Amino acid sequence: MSVEHQYRILVVDDESSVLITYRLILERQGYQVAACRTSREAIETLRGEEFDLVLCDYSLEEQHTGFEVIAAARQRQANVPAVLLTGYATRETAEEAAIHSINVLFKPIEIEEFLTMTADLLGKEK
Amino acid sequence: MMFQPQRALRRRERRQRSALLRLLQVARPEEVFPLLLQEILGLGFPRAMALEADIDTGNIVPAATLRWPKLEVEKLSSALPRTGQPLTTVLHRAHPAVLPRSEFWARPIYLHPVLYTSPRACREAGHRRKASCLAVRNFRHERPIRLEEQVCSACHARGHAGWVVVELNRNNSEADLHELGELIELSGHLRSRLLKAEQDDHRMREMEVAIARMGTVMQSMADPVVLTDLHHRLIMQNAAAERLFKPQGKMSEGMGRAVELNNLLFSAALSSLVISGGGAYHDLTLVDVTEGEEMLFEAVSAPTYGPDAAQTGTVTVMHDVTDLRRADEELRANYEKLRQTEEIVHLERDRLNLIIENVGDPIIVCDRQARIVVQERLAEELFGPGPESPRSPAQAGNQAQLHDCIARFVASSAERETAPLCLFHPALKLEIEYDARMGKIFDENGQVSYTVTVLRDLTALRRVEQLKMERRMLEVEKFAATGRLAATIAHEVNNPMEAIKNAIYLLAGAIPENARPVYNILQSETERVARIVRQMLGLYRNAEHAKPANLNTIIEDTLLLLNRQLQRARVQIVSDLRPLPQAVVAADQMRQVLSNLVINARDAMPQGGRLLIRTRHVPGHDGLYGWIRILVADTGTGIPQEMIRAIFEPFVTTKGERGTGLGLWIVKGIVNHHTGRLSVRSREGVGSVFRIDLPVVKP
Repeated sequence: MSVEHQYRILVVDDESSVLITYRLILERQGYQVAACRTSREAIETLRGEEFDLVLCDYSLEEQHTGFEVIAAARQRQANVPAVLLTGYATRETAEEAAIHSINVLFKPIEIEEFLTMTADLLGKEK
Repeated sequence: MMFQPQRALRRRERRQRSALLRLLQVARPEEVFPLLLQEILGLGFPRAMALEADIDTGNIVPAATLRWPKLEVEKLSSALPRTGQPLTTVLHRAHPAVLPRSEFWARPIYLHPVLYTSPRACREAGHRRKASCLAVRNFRHERPIRLEEQVCSACHARGHAGWVVVELNRNNSEADLHELGELIELSGHLRSRLLKAEQDDHRMREMEVAIARMGTVMQSMADPVVLTDLHHRLIMQNAAAERLFKPQGKMSEGMGRAVELNNLLFSAALSSLVISGGGAYHDLTLVDVTEGEEMLFEAVSAPTYGPDAAQTGTVTVMHDVTDLRRADEELRANYEKLRQTEEIVHLERDRLNLIIENVGDPIIVCDRQARIVVQERLAEELFGPGPESPRSPAQAGNQAQLHDCIARFVASSAERETAPLCLFHPALKLEIEYDARMGKIFDENGQVSYTVTVLRDLTALRRVEQLKMERRMLEVEKFAATGRLAATIAHEVNNPMEAIKNAIYLLAGAIPENARPVYNILQSETERVARIVRQMLGLYRNAEHAKPANLNTIIEDTLLLLNRQLQRARVQIVSDLRPLPQAVVAADQMRQVLSNLVINARDAMPQGGRLLIRTRHVPGHDGLYGWIRILVADTGTGIPQEMIRAIFEPFVTTKGERGTGLGLWIVKGIVNHHTGRLSVRSREGVGSVFRIDLPVVKP
């Protein structure tokens, strides 16, 4: 995978240990990863850069949700693919995600499925 | 001239014999007197007459006269009885007398009684020892002769009494009178015999007529009549009997045998008939000679007696009762049939009554005018007793409503109908909603003869359903709470575990060879914890409220979702879904149930196989709406017998490392919380069948 084709992925999760492992797994795949612990931090990051994919935990600090982060990303890049990672995902969450064309992965994630989906979404985007 | 007594005697005898020979030529009794009178005159007497007395009235009339002027006859015949004595005395004594001359007769007269006499008794008296013959009695004149006794007690012959009156010459000797007396006496005997013969002849003619009459009667009788002697030999029989007993010239062999058989049967029967005496009827079976069919007779025998009162034989009359018996038997059979039918009807009615009494719902039978004909106890509470009895205003109101409802139904073309009916229950003092289920009973012309209505108390039914629903909601709530707790724990475990799992993945390349086994344990066990957590989170995810839903749709959705997985596993889906009533379920929970069962089935068929999903509505027997039955069957490895009891316990799995042991536990939990039933049948190497029954509840 060449440098000029290096994909940029934003990963958001309020659990730092989880966030680190996601980042490491994705970096091992050769992606460039920006990892944020809060929605605020993520939205801030999104102001400065563009990403090829947004991976975001559903429940974030305080009452914030991953939907806000994805919404912010899409304000900048309307078609950026996004995946919601969640342990709590209810039907409503799933339906809302579907409405906004957001993919859902249930925690604990299957790493193989996680990687396949990531690769697929990036491929589609290009 | 010298008196020669011997010669005179001989001359007299000769004269007497010739006179008698002349008299013997007489054929009829009435000819005797005229000839006798001639003979008397021939003896030299001047004149003679015969008088006869009517034995009934005592009147005396002249029977014959000779040379006696008519005037004098009248004078004499009227004078003699008046003088009385001589005639009667002569008769009483049965002895002649000579009356001297009197004012009525110029010369002495000879008076000789003429009676019914004979030295020999009549035939009838001869047969009967104790009877005495009048003729003999007169002959012997053992006692004074009386006119009123001149009828023979043995042969009933009527006697007669009369006198021969002879005018004497002045010089008549004793011998002359003796000769005269003998002549009259012999003539009297002759006359008696002729009279008796005439009477016998007359009686014989009468008897012939009587016999002919009896013969006609016998022949004209439709019943066979047979007269037999003491040895049961046939004396005579009528035409009806001949048809049975008399061999005919033109008879076939079979008919001949029938006649023979009849004679045998009759002889046998006759013995017992005679023994049992007259008057008793005996059954006698004979054969119809022409038809060959059995004929039934009632036979009665009576002894016949001769004039000496001794039995001479037996007369047997047979009455054909074949048709009568058959009719009687048929009648009896019909009666028996009727009785049995009646018994069955009674039994049926009792059974029906028992059923009606035990249905527990009011039942009303109405006629085509929608008038109540029959109702059971519960209906009576609503509508009051019979139409004559007084009923409360509420009952009258109820009846009016029922009447309208049934009258509408009768007028409609529907054979069955259910209509709502809101009635006031007088005892409970509240309005009750009923489902009036009505059915028609038709007569043979296809007209409505009766309607049967069963009232179902919807209020009570709804109350039961309400309670069930509430209980289910509580169960679901409890399940949801458990789910929430499990999910909270799972979620708390989830994040650290996610980090551990990811870390293990990241370390994969950095593990020295000798630490590999340990690393592998770490990896697989973490994976297992991850699966458990996923299941527990799933419980929470599906904790939603129950709503009416169509289970077939839920099944189709689930299968669509799992279709690709199943195809990859080479599992053929056979879905056999029949129309179902709506079920009140939590749809997502049911999806979970189905997906757990389908995934288990898939896992049980590593080489692929067939998966059958079948739904049915099973009508209920408990007065509710029945059950929805879902079968999930596979052709997989099956569940080991020792595990089958534990299969629904948490953390029990047949999949080893790959299973969490939570899938069927969750299935059981969800089914229980829907007040459903769950069961499994399985054979190793053949497959497993999971059966879920969910109650149908009408919203």
